[in-house]
Amino acid sequence: MNARILIAVFSAAFVLALPPLATAADSQWVLDQSTLTYHVSHPLHQTEGVSHAARGKGVCHDGQCDFLIAVPVKSFDSGDSNRDLHMVQVTRGAQFPLVTVRTKLPESASASSTINADLDVEFAGQTAHYKQVAFQLVKEGAQIRITGTIPATLADFKIDPPSLLTMPVKNEIPIRVEILWRPQ
Amino acid sequence: MKARAPKLAVGVAALLFPLLIAEPLLAQAAPQPPPAQPDNPPAATPSQNLPDAPSTTQTESKPESKTEPSLNDLGFPTEQTQPDPKMQALLDKRTHMLKIHQRMGLITTIPLLATLFTSVNAGGKNTSNTDRNVHLILGAVTGDLYGITAYYAIRAPRVPGTQTRGPIRFHKAMAYIHVPGMVLTPILGAMAYSEKNKGEKVHGIASAHGPVAIVTAGAFGAALLSVSIKF
Repeated sequence: MNARILIAVFSAAFVLALPPLATAADSQWVLDQSTLTYHVSHPLHQTEGVSHAARGKGVCHDGQCDFLIAVPVKSFDSGDSNRDLHMVQVTRGAQFPLVTVRTKLPESASASSTINADLDVEFAGQTAHYKQVAFQLVKEGAQIRITGTIPATLADFKIDPPSLLTMPVKNEIPIRVEILWRPQ
Repeated sequence: MKARAPKLAVGVAALLFPLLIAEPLLAQAAPQPPPAQPDNPPAATPSQNLPDAPSTTQTESKPESKTEPSLNDLGFPTEQTQPDPKMQALLDKRTHMLKIHQRMGLITTIPLLATLFTSVNAGGKNTSNTDRNVHLILGAVTGDLYGITAYYAIRAPRVPGTQTRGPIRFHKAMAYIHVPGMVLTPILGAMAYSEKNKGEKVHGIASAHGPVAIVTAGAFGAALLSVSIKF
């Protein structure tokens, strides 16, 4: 009788212990490669700065995936060290060292060739929301390559437009994104 | 049978007991909400001409669910994620001074071009004292403005660990020509002025005033163009 009670108690404990184990993430994605390019337009200059230093992670659970991508501001290289330093200064990159992008996507999106994502971008101490940004998806084996352009502007992040010879740069600073995700 | 039942219970307990302990530990190991970013004042006061961006002051956004990844998951080194207000202040000062340098450099080109223009009538056989004086005054103004321009470039803070790359290298290299040129040109010009006032033909080293001035102006112009247009 005592043994039966003991077995029942421990069996109940066993059942109670199971649910936490069941809440682990279904799948995860890791950013393998990245090329982020910003473009700045000025009447005398067209400038691009490139970074390959982004890191990212995606967690999928119950058919929904949460993605986070971050890149250091000072990792962008335009080929001119003086310009890069000014860029870090005007974007408050020493005070807010990272640009972060968050988005949620359905897990089924990985089967599509194009997706429209709502992005939350944190940059220069400000947060901007971009809705329905189009990205192209290409499967490369188990990996997925995603390309697209984020239509960022200086005004979105309260950045004073730099000027050269009294002429300011254009407000639009589109950021081209090319990233490669692999399942973890 | 009765003897085996307690032993069986003990065996099952030994198997299941760790799970009882692991359950709260698993709950603790679940992704924690990432810490908020260190308290920093909001970004620098935005220009009043800019429309309000759809934004809030940046802090590390707390994930809405436990499945959202956080910045800690990405594995950035601490020095890449920590704010550095001192560096930001240094960059702000550097930009401020280099903006003045840029503005003064552009302003200096006006008397510089005027000095070059008046040099035509300042030399030669038939020149009046007035022409030489105008050229001298414009040259002096050019020299003063050049000195102010150079001051802001020299005194602008350097950023440690930065390797100079790109067109700025050419811009800095030109200084090795126009800085000594801007020192020599007025010295040679004073010698030439003195000889002319004595009624002498400009001779000796004073005759180098013109060529030195032209090379100096050329280097100055090249330095300006190297950071203005894309070659």
